[in-house]
Amino acid sequence: MAIGAEAVRAEFAGIVGEAQLTAEAGARARFAIDGKVPDCVVYPNSAEQVAQTLKCAAGHNLAVIACGGATSLGIGNAPQRYDVALCLRKITKVRYYEPADLTAGVGAGMMLDDFQNLLKPDGLWLPLDPSGSGQATLGGVVAANASGPLRHSCGAPRDMVVGMQIATAGGKLVKTGGRVVKNVAGYDLGKLLIGSYGTLGVITEVNLKLFPLPAERQTFVLSTGTLGIARDLRRSILNSPIDPLRMVLLDAETGRTVYPAAQRDRADQEPQMWLEAGGTKSVIDRTWKELDALGRAVGAKVQTYDREGMRGAWQMISDFSHWLGKTYPGAVVLKGTMPIANSEEFLSLAQQEAQNEKVRMASVTQSGVGILYLGLLDPQSISQMAALIGRIRKAAEKAGGALVVISAAAEVKAQVDAWGTPGAGFGLMRRMKAAWDPKGILSPGRFVGSL
Amino acid sequence: MGSEGVLWRPEDLMLYEYDGLSALETPDAVVFPTRTDQVVRMATLAAARKIPIIPRGAGTGLSGGAVVTEGGIVISLARMKKILEIDLENQRATVQPGVVNADLTLAVADAGYYYAPDPSSQKACTIGGNVAENSGGPHTLAYGVTTNHVLGLEVVLPDGEVIRTGGKGWDLPGYDLTGLMVGSEGTLGIVTEITVRLMRTPEALETLLAIYDRVMDATRTVAAITAQGITPAALEMMDGFTLRAVEQATHAGYPMDSAAVLLIEVEGLREAVKEQAEQIEAVCGKNQVRSVRRAQTAAERALLWKGRKNAFGALGRISPNYYVQDGVIPRSKLPEMLEYIEEVGRKYDFRIGNIFHAGDGNLHPLLMFDARDRDQSRRVVKAAQEIMTRCAELGGSITGEHGVGMEKNELMPLIFSEDDLEIQRQIKSVMNPTGLFNPGKVLPAGKMCGEIRVQAGAGG
Repeated sequence: MAIGAEAVRAEFAGIVGEAQLTAEAGARARFAIDGKVPDCVVYPNSAEQVAQTLKCAAGHNLAVIACGGATSLGIGNAPQRYDVALCLRKITKVRYYEPADLTAGVGAGMMLDDFQNLLKPDGLWLPLDPSGSGQATLGGVVAANASGPLRHSCGAPRDMVVGMQIATAGGKLVKTGGRVVKNVAGYDLGKLLIGSYGTLGVITEVNLKLFPLPAERQTFVLSTGTLGIARDLRRSILNSPIDPLRMVLLDAETGRTVYPAAQRDRADQEPQMWLEAGGTKSVIDRTWKELDALGRAVGAKVQTYDREGMRGAWQMISDFSHWLGKTYPGAVVLKGTMPIANSEEFLSLAQQEAQNEKVRMASVTQSGVGILYLGLLDPQSISQMAALIGRIRKAAEKAGGALVVISAAAEVKAQVDAWGTPGAGFGLMRRMKAAWDPKGILSPGRFVGSL
Repeated sequence: MGSEGVLWRPEDLMLYEYDGLSALETPDAVVFPTRTDQVVRMATLAAARKIPIIPRGAGTGLSGGAVVTEGGIVISLARMKKILEIDLENQRATVQPGVVNADLTLAVADAGYYYAPDPSSQKACTIGGNVAENSGGPHTLAYGVTTNHVLGLEVVLPDGEVIRTGGKGWDLPGYDLTGLMVGSEGTLGIVTEITVRLMRTPEALETLLAIYDRVMDATRTVAAITAQGITPAALEMMDGFTLRAVEQATHAGYPMDSAAVLLIEVEGLREAVKEQAEQIEAVCGKNQVRSVRRAQTAAERALLWKGRKNAFGALGRISPNYYVQDGVIPRSKLPEMLEYIEEVGRKYDFRIGNIFHAGDGNLHPLLMFDARDRDQSRRVVKAAQEIMTRCAELGGSITGEHGVGMEKNELMPLIFSEDDLEIQRQIKSVMNPTGLFNPGKVLPAGKMCGEIRVQAGAGG
């Protein structure tokens, strides 16, 4: 790899300026992925600089991994090559913000939290609560199609992005979609970029649909005894007229961590269904009443707790995959996705598999949408963990879904593909990748099927 | 496909010369597969003989997506009309592409579910056609258009390969090929199976008709409702000219002497619906509404919607032809854009009826003309083009839900740069390298900004 060469470094410096480029060891280490450290970190100030950086990198066949807040940077297989970390944190310009139109277009490096703060005075928000939202940038959130418990009622970035600007591997800036909320002109290339983890192009600007903030919010907690009861409750809630903002099933381990007081009420530690209602007071009261009746039918009592405490607890629920890694070094985090009806049975199988290996598990299940986050807290040997992940993956596939490794030790990841075996349609994905990134310089080897 | 699955007599083929927009060439043949493997064989055959393939649903499209531009075989998916699976616990249904939009909702309504995208042609148009066009409808304001409701597809590629994208679950690993296919107008592949999301029917709903003496007050109300933090399920506007035509045709009870009406629907929990309906009435009141009427019964509600959904047909009764446009603007620019449309009408001497999905800034100006008059036919296209150009200048789009088709592909440079279009061309060539699937649609042939392409008999 040639980046050590002064000439190449000078080229980058010529594009972004000497101050926006670092090869300092500490800075580089912050962008390490599975033990691989980039040779330099580039911080462009503009979309044009991103495009030029890519063009230069392509010219020297250097592998580039784009990142924002680095909250999802670890997701994917180990990079085959990794020369340049392209950090978009400085691209934060608000291109337009029209509260009356419920739209905004902003630089990909703007932090999600900063964006929410911009919208809040106008009574608006972007209803996303992905893991690491305090650090995540909008570009990163979109590139990872990252969502959290709000997915239940509000969808994913896929449903909120109306247009974007992309720097291509060839060094061009292209636009897809537009600024308006309804638009079917041309191919929806944005969909390809959303959730592509920076393997097709680098998102430099995103145009978003905005939404009115709910007037009030209130959390309700129901202890569900068993997963069977949790399943019955999920069914009855989804069949009821109420429409909660968020709905998650926490296992005892997670419940204990995110809000200890909610567990102290029960001597036997049980899974809990957490719901948050949003809207006017009458809507919240009605939701309470309905939940009370639905809970009673399965023997689960509705509890409410102080509002501040709940805010912190939801933050931890959203951030599950982040604090897990910090609290339990070496912990493995997995994300399962499947048809809604299969989530509790899959969870039960996964718990059984973990127990067989004497591995403690914590989980957050977004039971209304069939998305589960599983944490394996005290990992055993590498081969044991790899085998365990393989068995849990098989259960997810049998449930009609898939299992993605969100984080694990590099040694474990070396033995397990982060995405699982690609299905029919992979040939086309390979051709897509080749069309966008013919030299394979964008995050090489990290995506599905080692694309 | 058997002899009953093929049309080849000229008198039969003539029926497939047109769609909802335009008439063009006669296809060489029309075939009606009933199974995916028959579509595969057609694709393979067409590839071997280099014959263009034009997929078609019900032919209700409004941008010429299903008409033949340079000969070829029309593959009608109309007989692939089975609902393959209804899976209520997972809130999913899997259908063949020829299933009529409204029939899906009908099939799940008793169980308390519905399929949200509801184009005005929903009693005739097919889900496959909706996927091709990424169709909208009045009720997509709150819940999103077709792409927000499609999770999985089976697709036949031009070389005969069959792929499956997505599935019943969200977030399946890999590139979102489902999202790319939706709205690709039959130019990237033929969709032979579709998995969609079903939604719970809300327990309550209110339909309000707000009647205005001035158009400006109606457009201001639209902005004010948004500013209140209310997202109605639907927020439609019709101007006085249109609603008089609608009233004569449908007798929906629209006032004959008003300048504009808003048709507003809110739905959800009883409590929310009650409060929002009251808030909306108050907002209307602050914006000089003449009166607000609430539909008292399901029949009244149905009648109000019947008027709206049959509006194009109603205008067709009073003019030999009309040409409907599908522009989008940022919703706050509605008053300004309406004035501009009026100006264009004066300049080119056409009556223009306005029907808007006002809530999301999607305009449907209908230009009344007589296709027998060659000069009018020329002028109507010019007038429409000016309206489209203005939409683009205001930061909008040239199509919100009808698609680009063969009508507006030469207008794409109004909103996309050459680099933007080049990457679209590249993606097309990945999937459809021979260009045999639905040629002459979506992407412009030339590099310069061209003109709307419709024949003189447009939009009859």
